[in-house]
This record gives sequence, structure tokens and C-alpha cells, in this order.
Amino acid sequence: MKKFVGLALVPILFITGCGGNDGSGGEEAGGDAEETEVIGGDAEDATELTFWTFNEQHIGIYQPAVERWNENNPDRQIELTAEVFPIDQMNNNLRLALQSGEGAPDIADIEVSHFGSFLEGEPQFESMNDQVEPVLDDMVTGRLDLYSKDDNYYGLPYHVGASVMYYNEEIMDEAGVDIDSIETWDDYIEAGKQVTENTDAMMTTIETTDQFTFWPLIAQQESDYFNEDGEVTLDNETNVETLQFMKDLIYEHEIAETAPGGDHHEEQYYGYMNDGGAASLLMPMWYMGRFIDYMEDLEGKMQVRPLPKWEEDGNRTAGMGGTGTVVTNQTENPDLAKEFLAEAKLTEEGNIDLWTELGFDPPMHSVWDSEEVGESNQYYEYFHDDIFDMLLELNDEVEGLNITPETSDATNEINTNVLNNAIRQESRTPQEALEEAADSVRSGMSDE
Amino acid sequence: MTTEKKEKWVSILITTIFAIITLIALFPIISLLIASLRPASDLMREGLSLFFNPAELTFSNYLSIFSDNGQQYWRWYINSILISSMLIVLSLFFSSMVGYALAMYNFKGRNVLFVLVLFILMIPFEILMLPLYQLMITLGLIDSYLAVMLPLIVAPIAVFFFRQYCIGLPKELMESARIDGCTEYGIFFKIMAPLMGPSFAAMAILQGLTSWNNFLWPLLVLRSSDMFTLPIGLATLLTPYGNNYELLFSGSVLTIVPIIILFLFFQRFFISGLTVGGVKG
Amino acid sequence: MEPSTSTDTQRVRNKRPSKLTAFLTSRKIAPYVFVTPFVISFLLLFLYPMIQAFVMSFQQVLPGQTTFIGFDNYERLLNPTFYRALLNTSVYVLFTVLILVAAPVVLAVFLNSKLLKFKNFFRASLFVPALTSVIVAGVIFRMMFGESDSAVANEVLGFFGISPIDWRYGSVSGMFLMVLLASWRWMGVNILYFLAGLQNVSDELYEAADIDGANPIQKFFYVTLPSLKPVVIFVSTISIINGFRMFEESFVFWQANSPGNIGLTVVGYIYQEGISQNDMGFGAAIGVVLMLIIFIVSIIQLKFVGAFKED
Repeated sequence: MKKFVGLALVPILFITGCGGNDGSGGEEAGGDAEETEVIGGDAEDATELTFWTFNEQHIGIYQPAVERWNENNPDRQIELTAEVFPIDQMNNNLRLALQSGEGAPDIADIEVSHFGSFLEGEPQFESMNDQVEPVLDDMVTGRLDLYSKDDNYYGLPYHVGASVMYYNEEIMDEAGVDIDSIETWDDYIEAGKQVTENTDAMMTTIETTDQFTFWPLIAQQESDYFNEDGEVTLDNETNVETLQFMKDLIYEHEIAETAPGGDHHEEQYYGYMNDGGAASLLMPMWYMGRFIDYMEDLEGKMQVRPLPKWEEDGNRTAGMGGTGTVVTNQTENPDLAKEFLAEAKLTEEGNIDLWTELGFDPPMHSVWDSEEVGESNQYYEYFHDDIFDMLLELNDEVEGLNITPETSDATNEINTNVLNNAIRQESRTPQEALEEAADSVRSGMSDE
Repeated sequence: MTTEKKEKWVSILITTIFAIITLIALFPIISLLIASLRPASDLMREGLSLFFNPAELTFSNYLSIFSDNGQQYWRWYINSILISSMLIVLSLFFSSMVGYALAMYNFKGRNVLFVLVLFILMIPFEILMLPLYQLMITLGLIDSYLAVMLPLIVAPIAVFFFRQYCIGLPKELMESARIDGCTEYGIFFKIMAPLMGPSFAAMAILQGLTSWNNFLWPLLVLRSSDMFTLPIGLATLLTPYGNNYELLFSGSVLTIVPIIILFLFFQRFFISGLTVGGVKG
Repeated sequence: MEPSTSTDTQRVRNKRPSKLTAFLTSRKIAPYVFVTPFVISFLLLFLYPMIQAFVMSFQQVLPGQTTFIGFDNYERLLNPTFYRALLNTSVYVLFTVLILVAAPVVLAVFLNSKLLKFKNFFRASLFVPALTSVIVAGVIFRMMFGESDSAVANEVLGFFGISPIDWRYGSVSGMFLMVLLASWRWMGVNILYFLAGLQNVSDELYEAADIDGANPIQKFFYVTLPSLKPVVIFVSTISIINGFRMFEESFVFWQANSPGNIGLTVVGYIYQEGISQNDMGFGAAIGVVLMLIIFIVSIIQLKFVGAFKED
């Protein structure tokens, strides 16, 4: 049995994050594909630190962090050079740089489903324990556990996102459905039938090239791709039933369709949703930014609600995605890089920025009821809701994820084969599709 | 109907059919030109339609390439031009030497070398790419122009072409040059190389085009966006990462148009360059 | 374009004849100097990686540690994903070879005919697609074969009353896209090969056929095709090799992962495993197997078309 970063996450909070998959989208990325940004370049004698990310949006919190750092540490000025790559390319580059012992940046973002594979063997990252331990009590530790191995914390999280249901209130009103009356998935299906009967819209869309419909749905029921021991559970009963449920939404209840373009990060999908194609959408909290960037026409029409429940006392959300930021062992200034990263991610100011700049729910719970977090911002305006109160209410209903080195394999299977074969092509039953995928992941594990 | 009349009709028929085939062949390129004048996100959302509103046509995609957003694109352009032109110079220099020697001299091992050239021609580069990639890492060449060019510098296809070409050159010239006191190198560079003009042109185009459009290898060895070549850069714009589709369409046009213009002027060399292998056929 | 060489030649000219220079410039040695670049390049960039590929295929290559694991990588190859990659590649090779031999032959015959006007224009136009990079061509094809009803391909289908197709999601339509893209790009080049071949067909053969009263179709099958045999062998050989190398035609449509792996090719699998999954040993094993396959297929093909027979 191999090492894995198995994390029996104490079901503390949700995982937020960045979407994860092997490249077809699914990050909260926005903006330009390729960009280099230098932050704090005016400081004299500043030490240069490089930062790689696959998500341009993430740079947003480093801007104020560099300013704070340079103000507080006049004799240890820094200049942060941030480079944005497509996720596949960034992972490849980073992996090879770490392997060859040169060319790695000082600081890097690693998406959660790939993090496990980066921790195989001897992790090529600096342990962040000396920075994390002093503030551990204030943090949602489950988020830190995702990016740890053998009691060492290597990655710092961006958020504690939760999967939620986004409702287009205009369509729901037209269909005559009160969104607050939807409590269970059965209610949801009934509401969906009303929507398809009374409007031109579908109730929802289902991803077939990315996992953000399937994964939240199974995680909500405390299932996962792997169990706490790192064993493959991809083909367990809950997962099979859930996949069948997704299929039924499309073919039996006829209230859903496959997402145009394949997933919820495609231009075709944005166009479709913006034109009122579907009445609701299951995505993690970090998807809010996508609405603001790509679906202008929906401003003021969208409502954020917890997910419908599977059972009376079931969870109403599931933690999804995530990105851990690491300091690589190739940095020439390990202390500086670590202390700076802690400034960005482990301080109250940094965590407030995570919400105000990026719309992420910060992993430091001590800032949740702070004044700054309660202040109105573009997210509150677009969704006109007390989003944060809802998040706080949900926070003990979130199951953790079990991340292993094979998580990226499992993700890959889901995105390329399972969803396509079981839902889009219907060439396999959900049972067959998941069993095939599970076998494939297992066969990749046995040889090591 | 007389035979002559019949032939005339057949001629018109065939020509019409060819006109249609040609139209189909050129259709993708023509539609790219038109697409580049249409709002980019509409294209991504709706696909390329036969029907479009001419009033919608706009140069805004091209404006974006000249805005801040486009800076990266020009960087890729410069990289592509630099890599291609350096590669042309280096590979023509080395490959012509090798091809010339294989054709003009009788020396021990010549046949073995020629067989090796043919052998390499048969082996897809992709099979060697992982070890080559490791080699580039070991040599510390990752993310450099040199890494992109190295595997193409002594191109077997060019060696082969130069060898075939040189076989047709008069050997008597070498003899008389020797009598005039030229060294062997002098003979090649001063006397023979100038005679190989057309083959240089053809290979310059083949190597230039190969390098300009090269994808998989640069994808492996280039890391920072500042080093990307055009195909790699354009491919990154294909990801659903954001609003860069303006750049994708106008950038694609600017990537192929210069080549097509060059082709119109140097058709002959393009054709002989790209159909190299045919010399033996 | 002429390589700049003045320094070389001047050095050679100015030097007083010493034994060493005399040796270096002798007719015996000069050819070896000329071929040195090839020898170095062969050893460093071909032989070494070739050996290394074999060695790696028996290893597990991890950061900082490389272990010899025998045939494990090859055993792992026996999995459905690899079969899928192999199947896709084989189907792709088969179709591209058939299309890229048959269609250019016919087109070349017409382009060679006196009856066709504007030959040069047609020839040049058909050649233009060869100038585009696969990436750019792929961008256009993606737009033309979009899923929406308003994309060109679906509009054309709609015109014939066929409902729109999700081109990039079905295995048949996906293969169609890749073959179409390759055929479009290479058609013009292959036409030129056949045109060159046609110049070598002697008129006497046609005259003899005329005397025997052969019709144009008979002439095509009994005179033209047999005369073009060397070109057919050549074109089919390069098409097979290029087909097995295929990666980009798939990459432009789906990047690294295609739905149901409909676009996965063997080289794509090397990239996925060797680079994306960082399993260099496994990737190398795929490469070695690919090489064997190409050898076998090439030999069968050459046998089949009779390249080994003396004509």
C-alpha cells in the first residue's frame, strides 16, 4: 500500500476551491490565459520571489499582501513575480522542475486533485509547520490537512468553499416555484417539472467533462472516490446510485440536460446560462466569480441556497475543489518565502482579503464574524443575499475529501470516461462505468 | 456531337468540379478570415455560421492584438521568427555539408551513414521524445531556444535532400578547383554551395515551415510564457481560461497569412521543399 | 541562401602548410569533417535516446529515485485505455492512408489532363492548407464543427434535413474530424507527389492503350496506376508513419483528455502518461511498443504493395 495523503478530514468545513480536473476547465480562473505580473516592483533592494499559478484570480490576494509585508518589513522588502499558466502546463512544468532540481518557482499553487501526486516520494516542498502551528486554533484544520503528509503541512488553502445551488429567481417565479420550499432532492425534481412545464428553461445542467456535478453530489452523502485508507471506493453503492440519479434527471424526469460545451466553464455554457437556459445550477461557492465575469444579464436574478437534502437529516452542502499554495525546496530564501506566504494566507488581513478580493470563504474562522467580512461588496450586490450567513450556518455539514496520489487518476477517469459513457453516450450503465473506472485506478496503484 | 465539342464540354465540367473542390479546400481559410472579423465570444458560443450579419463585422479582434492584451502574442511571434530563422541558418549549414559529403566523396562508412539517415527518417521522433526531454533537463537547456532547435538542426530529411541534389552536380568542378589550389572546404563553400542555390531555398522553406508549425516538442521543452512559440501560445488560448478568444482568431490569421504570402512569391521552392521525399519516387 | 563561410575559408587560405592542416584539409579527412555534425547529432540525439528509451521502459522513474522494475511497464500496457489508443490510431492510419492515396491519385490525373483549365491555380490552391499549422487549422475546424445548430457543419446537415450532431462527443464523428483535418492538410502535398510521378509515365504506353481501344477508365487502371506504383508505395509509407505519430490533430479538438477517450492516440498516451502523469518509464514502454508496431506494419505494407519484388 502506498503512501497517500489520505485525510480523514474531520467533517469540519467545506472545502473550497478551485475546481479540479485535468485541464478542461474547472478552476476559478478568469481573465487572461498567459500573464506575468510583477507586484511590489518599486521597492529598492527587494528580494525577488516568483509565484506560479493556474488561476489569475488568485494573484488578487498577493497584491495587498506584498504591500503589507513591505510596510511591516522595511529591511526585508520583496518583489513578487506572478506567472499564470494553463493548469496542465503548470503542473507539468512544476513536476519536471521539482524532479530535475531546477527551474521551480519560490511559491506555487497546486490544485487539490493533483496535490497528492506531488507528495509522492519525498515532498519537494518546505514544511510550513512553524508558520501554521501558532494559528492552528483559528484555522479550519481540515483544509490544511488536505495538503499535508506525515504531520507536515505543505500547502496553505485559499478557502473553505461549499457546494450550493444557484437559482435563477426570475425563471423560478415564472414557473411558480418558491425556492425556499425546496428542501430535498425530491422537492427539487418536482420543482424541476414545474419549470420545464411552465417555462422554456431546463431545471439544471449536468457536467459530462468535469466532475462538479458528480463529486459534490456524492460528497454530500459522505461518499468519495477513495476512503480514509486510500482505497478506491469509486464504484460503491452510493456513487452508482448517484450517477443513476444524474442520469434520471436527464432521461427520466427530463428536467436536466448535459451542459453545453461539456462543463460549466465553457463559453457555450456561459452564453446558454446567461440567456436563461437553465433555472438552477449546482456549483461550489467559488463559482460566484464566474457569474459576475461572464453572465452579466443575470445580475440581481440569482439566489444562492444550500443544496437539497438526500435525507431528513442529511447534509446540505459538500466541500469541493481547493488549491494549496506551497513553498518549493528550490527557493533561495525559504524563510522569507514562508513568512510572506503566511502573511498572505495565515493572517486575519489576508483572510479578509480572500473574501473581499476573491469571493472565497476564508479558512481562518476567526474572521468570519468580523466587520470587514460583513461589509457589502460586489458578491452581495450580484446575488443580493447574505451569502456569508448561509455559509456559516452550513459549516458543520461539510464532509471532507480523501485526497490520494491517485486522485488525479480518478478525476481523469470521471471526466473522460464515466460521465461520458454513462450519461452522454449511455453506452454503459452507471454501475459498469464506475466499475471500469475503479478497476483502472486500482490497476495504476497495484504496481507501485 | 463532334469529338471536339464533346471535349469542350468535358473540359468545362472538369474545370467546374475542380473549382468546387478548390472552394471546399480554401473554405476553412476563408472562413477564418471572416471569423476573425466577428465578435469572438459569439463564435465560441454559437460556432462558425454560414450566415452572418455583414454589419456586425468589426476589426476589434485585431485591435485587441495591438492592445496590452496582445503584448504576449507579439512576444510569441518574435520567438517563432527567431527560432525559425536561426534554425534555417544552422540546419542548412550543417545538413548541406553532410549531404554534400555523402554525395561527392567516396569514403569508408559512407554507405553506413546514408543508411542511418534513411533509418532515422523512418523512426518517429515522438518515440524518442521522453529520453530527449530528460536529456534537455540534464543539459539544463529546458526553456531555451536551443532545446527547441536541437533535434531539428541536422535534419535527416534535409541531409537526404541535399545528397540527392548534389549527386547531380558536376564532379569535374571539384577537380579543377583542386588544381587551382582550393582546399576541400574552399571547394564546398566557394564553388559547390553556390551551385546548390535552389536546394537551399527549398530546404529553407521546409525547415522554416516545420519549425514555424512545430508543436509537440516545443510544448515539452518550453516552460515560461515568454518563451512560447506561436502554436504553443495559440493553443493556450484554446483553454476555457477567459476572454482571450479575440486574440485567438486574429492571432491565428496573423500566423498563417505571412506564410501564404511567401508561398505566392516562392511557390516553386515551397513545392520542392515540401515534396522532398518525392525525389526518389 | 548561402552559409557565411568567409572566416573558415580565410583561415584555411592563410595558413602555412603544416602537417596538421595538411592532414585536416586532405581529401581523405575532409568528408569526415563534413559529416561530423551528423555523427554527433546521431549519437547524441538519436542513438542515446533510443537506448535510453529501452532502458527507461524497464524502470520506474520517480523524483530522485529510479528503480528497475523488469517488465512491469509492459504488463501495465495491457489495459483498456491503451487498447483504445491503439484502436483509434489504427483506424486513423487506415483511413488517412486510404484517403490520402486514393483521392490525390485521381485529382492528380485530372490536374495532369489537357482538359482542365487553370491548372496552376488549382494546384496552388489545393496546396495552401499544407501551409497552416495544425493548431490554427484545428481552431477553424472546431468553429465549423461546433455543437450548436448554427455551426457550418450542422447548418449543412440541417439543409439536408439531418439533425445537428455533437461532433466532438461521438467516437465516429470524433474520428471523422481528425481524419478530415489531416486529409485537408495533406491532400495538396500528395497530389504533387503523384503529379511528379505522372510526368514519368511514357506517352507510348497510352498510345499503345489507345491502339488497343482502351477507354479512359481502363487506361487509368492498366496504364496510369501501375506506372505510379513507386509513388503509391512512397506516399502510403509516409502516411502510415505520420498516422502513427498523430497527436496534434487530436490535441486541437480536445487538449489532453477527450470524452470517452475518443481522441486518444498512442502518442497522446505517451504524452499523458510520460509527461502529464510523470510516469516516464511507462511512457517509454508505450514508445517502444509503438516502434515495434510501426516496423511490423511497414513491413507488411511493403510486402503487400510488392515493394520487395523486382519489377
